[in-house]
Amino acid sequence: MADLFSLTVSSRLEHLGEISDFIEQAARASGLNDSQVYDVQMAVDEACANVVEHAYHGRSDGTIDIVCETRGKNFVVTIQDFGERFNPKKIAPPKTRDPLSKRNIGGLGMFFMRKMMDRVEFDFSSKHGNRLTMLKKIKK
Amino acid sequence: MNSGITIIAPQGRLDAAGAPPLEAELKQHIDAGDVRLVVTLEHTRYISSNGLRALLAAQRLAQTRGGALKLCCLSPRLAEIFEMSGFNSVFEIFENAEQAVKSFGELGG
Repeated sequence: MADLFSLTVSSRLEHLGEISDFIEQAARASGLNDSQVYDVQMAVDEACANVVEHAYHGRSDGTIDIVCETRGKNFVVTIQDFGERFNPKKIAPPKTRDPLSKRNIGGLGMFFMRKMMDRVEFDFSSKHGNRLTMLKKIKK
Repeated sequence: MNSGITIIAPQGRLDAAGAPPLEAELKQHIDAGDVRLVVTLEHTRYISSNGLRALLAAQRLAQTRGGALKLCCLSPRLAEIFEMSGFNSVFEIFENAEQAVKSFGELGG
């Protein structure tokens, strides 16, 4: 049974670097290679930036709980916040092939999260707030 | 418009915290008439969607004023991020700063 890694930070963008270092440590411990570690770091970075911006609307007094664990052949990251309910269906995917003048770049963070991870699931309840679970397959 | 070319080298992480200062710096240059810019990503180890948006905003502004923002020195991983998001079509990307600077001259502007 691999260790559980957990980190709780306040909802400040200044913590993104610390979160990235934490993810690197946890992801390496679970056996992900350099490229996979980077993928997870990016997905979590985008997710946490979204939490600060959208769930907490830039307020710094919220909390972000991050838990990493190895479940079988998967590395699983859970990110929890108690800000405004997030509805992923409201985020339109970016048109990555549109010319510059026409480009709508909303949803780019979500685009990267789905690209970098094997599974991305959002869940909300009044008890646990927003809970994002992301899974990355561990490939040797 | 100034005739020179401005080179900017952001350091570290261009994430949601690092992107706004870069965007402000680029805007300041463009507002001052330095509309021909090269951003070297040699010392940038990470770029998120916010970093890409900051560069895109500066590119739009520079082009409106008759200039351009060009990039150089992307690590393989950064190049992959630009490719994946389609942002490689938004910027001219060069291997080094010298080539990026030279390209402004070749276009005569």
